[in-house]
Amino acid sequence: MTAAPAPEVFAALADPTRWRVLTLLAERGDGTATTLAGELPVSRPAVIKHLAVLDRAGLVESRRRGREVRFTVRPERLDAAARDLADLAAAWDARLAAIKRMAEEG
Amino acid sequence: MTPDRIERETLIAAPVERVWELVTAPEHVGTWFGDAGAEIDLRPGGAMALRWEEHGTVRARVERVEAPRVFAYRWASRMEAEPEEGASTLVEFFLEPDARGTLLRVVESGFAALDVPADEQERKAKGNGDGWDHELRDLAEYARSEVAARP
Repeated sequence: MTAAPAPEVFAALADPTRWRVLTLLAERGDGTATTLAGELPVSRPAVIKHLAVLDRAGLVESRRRGREVRFTVRPERLDAAARDLADLAAAWDARLAAIKRMAEEG
Repeated sequence: MTPDRIERETLIAAPVERVWELVTAPEHVGTWFGDAGAEIDLRPGGAMALRWEEHGTVRARVERVEAPRVFAYRWASRMEAEPEEGASTLVEFFLEPDARGTLLRVVESGFAALDVPADEQERKAKGNGDGWDHELRDLAEYARSEVAARP
């Protein structure tokens, strides 16, 4: 039995634009809605929406510096998601191995 | 390109009919999936129950039965719950006859659609999700190194 991974994390990651936002933040170290909108084919309000979803899923954190809000990636949530997926894959590997054993013995 | 699916496969030195039986017959499924038996009404829409001594029962609903090549069901993401939209993932088995026996492939998908508001479900689950755990770990690693490298 393996529990399903944190749904809000996978829902947040499932959008290609959000994935780009997260990748850019990881590459640059941090970013603001303005700098991110400058590098993506979407508007600043759209970037703000995507950042809010990533924030709710615990994938980014924000810090206010003067007039701007800077976002950084929270790697521990990505690690947890990676572990969840690896656990699910391992569970299927074990089940497939059991089927293989039964099929080849009998 | 979303981390919404897991795909695994194995090559089995046995005919496809034998593998089909192991994947679909309750007396077999109850041993390799769960440890306390299973019930399977083997037709689209049919009810399934997968039982564990320790954990209880997981309910599922049969989606596809195309003997001996495709078997799919939707299983509930919580014990004792019904396998409804937003609370279940899809499991698909594909059996391919091979000169050496049978290639058995399993795909589990739909993690992104679990229990989240409809506006969050705009996922485009194209492409192969296998290896996503590495992808996520790489990104986490990258984010760490960038943060560490900053002055």
